[in-house]
Amino acid sequence: MFEWSETDEMVRAAIREFIGKEIRPHVDELEHGDLPPYELLRKLFAAFGIDALASDTLKKILDKQRAREESGEQSSAKERGSTSLLGAGGQESLGVILCSELCGVSMGMLAAMGVSMGLGAATILARGTLAQKERWLPELVTMEKVAAWALTEPDSGSDAFGGMKSTVRRDGDGYVLNGQKTFITNGPYADTTVVYAKLDEGDGTPQRDRKVLLFVLDKGMDGFVQSKPMRKMGLHSSPTGELFFDNVKLGRDRLLGETEEHKGGDGRDSAKQGFVTERVGVAAMALGVINECQRLCVEYAKQRELWGKPIADFQLIQLKLAKMEVARINVQNMVFNTIERARAGKMPTLAEASAIKWYSSETATEVAMDAVQLFGGNGYMSEYRVEQLARDAKSLMIYAGSNEVQITQTAKGLLGQ
Amino acid sequence: MPNIVVLVKQVPDTYSERKLAESDHTLDRDSADAVLDEINERAVEEALLLKEAQGGEVTVVSVGPDRATDAIRKALSMGADKAVHVSDEALRGSDVLQTAKVLAAAVGKVEGYDLVIAGNEASDGQAGAVPAILAELLGVPQLTHARKVELDGTTLKVERESEEGITRLEASLPAVVSVGEKINEPRYPSFKGIMAAKKKPVETLTVADLGIDAGEVGLGNAWTSVLEAAPKPPRTAGQRVTDEGDGGSKVAEYLVAQKLI
Repeated sequence: MFEWSETDEMVRAAIREFIGKEIRPHVDELEHGDLPPYELLRKLFAAFGIDALASDTLKKILDKQRAREESGEQSSAKERGSTSLLGAGGQESLGVILCSELCGVSMGMLAAMGVSMGLGAATILARGTLAQKERWLPELVTMEKVAAWALTEPDSGSDAFGGMKSTVRRDGDGYVLNGQKTFITNGPYADTTVVYAKLDEGDGTPQRDRKVLLFVLDKGMDGFVQSKPMRKMGLHSSPTGELFFDNVKLGRDRLLGETEEHKGGDGRDSAKQGFVTERVGVAAMALGVINECQRLCVEYAKQRELWGKPIADFQLIQLKLAKMEVARINVQNMVFNTIERARAGKMPTLAEASAIKWYSSETATEVAMDAVQLFGGNGYMSEYRVEQLARDAKSLMIYAGSNEVQITQTAKGLLGQ
Repeated sequence: MPNIVVLVKQVPDTYSERKLAESDHTLDRDSADAVLDEINERAVEEALLLKEAQGGEVTVVSVGPDRATDAIRKALSMGADKAVHVSDEALRGSDVLQTAKVLAAAVGKVEGYDLVIAGNEASDGQAGAVPAILAELLGVPQLTHARKVELDGTTLKVERESEEGITRLEASLPAVVSVGEKINEPRYPSFKGIMAAKKKPVETLTVADLGIDAGEVGLGNAWTSVLEAAPKPPRTAGQRVTDEGDGGSKVAEYLVAQKLI
C-alpha cells in the first residue's frame, strides 16, 4: 500500500470535519484541563457509530465464547488472542486514521481513548473469564465508562515488573491489595481500573521474582483512592493521576481469569502482548503530528512575509520543510507497512516494533521543534498551536517504553539475545 | 413509505478561494476544493429522518461532472440508498432553466417518487430558483424555504420562512420541498455508512439517456448569460467623524451624501 484507499480518504475527511467543528473550538479548555476529554470522545464515538460497531463486535465475541463454554469446548489460542474491537476485517486503516488525525489536534484525547480501549478493555478481553467480560466490557467499549490500566509505580518505570512493589496477599477466598501507582492515564476519572500487583505468598520469595496478578477495581471501593490530575509538560487533554491502595479487599471475581495460573502466562506476559501494537501505534500518532506540523508550516511560510517576501522563499525555511517531507514519507511508509502486515496476519517482531517506535517518536519531536522554530516568536506562543504539538510529541519518546529501552530491544533482536 | 429524491450539488468549498474562469465566466472547478454543498447535507438529513420514521427509500440525484461522484458518495455514506448521476460534457455552463429541465428528466427516472427535497439555494450560484422551476416542470406543488417538514400519509406540511415571516403550507404528494439553514443539523457519515457507500448503486446517465437533445443544454444554448464578473472591491477604511458638538449633523450629512437617507 502506498496511499490511503478511497474509503480511507472518506473516513479521514469525515473525521477532519468532526475535529474542525467539535474539537478545535475546545482545544483551549482541553489544554487547560478544564474539560476532561470523555464527553467529546463519546460524541465522536456516537457520530461515527464507533460505539455501535464496538458493541456488535463485542457481542459476537462473547456469544461465541458462551456457546463454546456451554458445549464444553476449549478456546483456541487464536480466539483468546483476539483483542481487537476496532478496525478488524480488512479495515485496520480506520483505527490508524482516527488515531493519527486526533493526534494532530489533541494527542491527549487519543491517549485517553487508547488507554481505556486498547489497554484497559483489551486486557479484560484477553484475560478475563466470560463473566468478567460481561460485567465490565459492554460499557467500556462504548466509552460510556472509562478504564485505566495501572502498571507503573513511583520506583518502577521501564523496570515495571522487577521494581513493582504493589502487593496482594491471600485473604480467605479473596485478596487484600496494598501499594501505589503513578502516571496512570485516566487515573483521576476511571470507572474501571486494571491493576497489576505482586502476590506475596509469605514464603520468602524475593519481591523481584514474585508472581504478577491482575485485578479489576471499580471507582469508590474502600481503600482505593484516585488522585487529582497531575500537571504535565504536554498531553494536557489526557488526565494523568496517582492511585493509592490501602487494604483494598478484592473478591476472587476481581482476579482476571479467576486463576493464579493463567493459561496466557502471568501478568508479565499479559503486558508484553500489547507491546507490539502499542509501539507501532506510536508511528500512527507521530504521523498525525508530522502531518499537522507540515500543513501549518507550509501555510505559514507562504503567508508570513519578511524583507518584502514570503519566508517560503528563504532556503533555510525550505530546508525545514523538506526535512518534514522526508519525515512524513518515512513515518507514513512505516504506518502503511504495519497496516499491510496486520492484514496479512504477520505483525512486526518486538525488535522491529521497537525500531519503528524509536524512529517515529524522535522524528515527530524533531519536526515539531522545527515547526516552532519556523514560526519564530509566534511559534513560542500557544495561539499558533505548534508549541503544543512539540510538547505532545515529546511524550512519544518517553511513554510506551522509553526510547532508551526501544533501542536496547532493537539491538537485542539483531544480536539474537 | 415515501419514495424520496434528494437533489445534491457539488460546489467549491466556501472556505477556499472561489473563482470564475476568465474566458467564459463559468466556474473554475480547479481553483477550489469540491464538496457536497452544506445545504444539501441538510436536505439529505431531512430525507433520512423521514425514512427512519416512516420507511421508504432515498435516492440522490445530481447533475455535475465526473468528480461530482465524491459528493454523491458523501450523501450515500450518510445513509441514502442509491443515486442517479447525470454527467455529460454537453451540460457545461448550463443555466438554471436548463439544469432544472435535466433534473426533471432525471427525477422522472426514479420510479414512483413521492417527494423531492432540495436545498433552497446552492452556495456557489445562489440563484435559488431550481426547486421552483423543477416543481413547475414536474407539474407538482412547490413548498420552498422550509424550516420544518412534516409528512402525514400523503399530506405534506411545511413551515416556510422568509423575510416577511412564517407561512404554513400544505400540499398533497408528490411535491417539491426546498429546505433552509434552520431545518436540521446534518449527521456525520458513520464508519459503517462510509464502508457501505462503496457498494450502493449509482446510475450514470448522459443527456441522451434522458431523451434531451444536447443542443438544448450547455453554455452556448443557455437562456441567460454572464456578461461580466468582478471580485468584490476590498473593504475601505471607514470615515471617522470627530464630535465637536456637531457630530450628529455631520453623520446625517454623510448619510445624505451617500443617498442612504
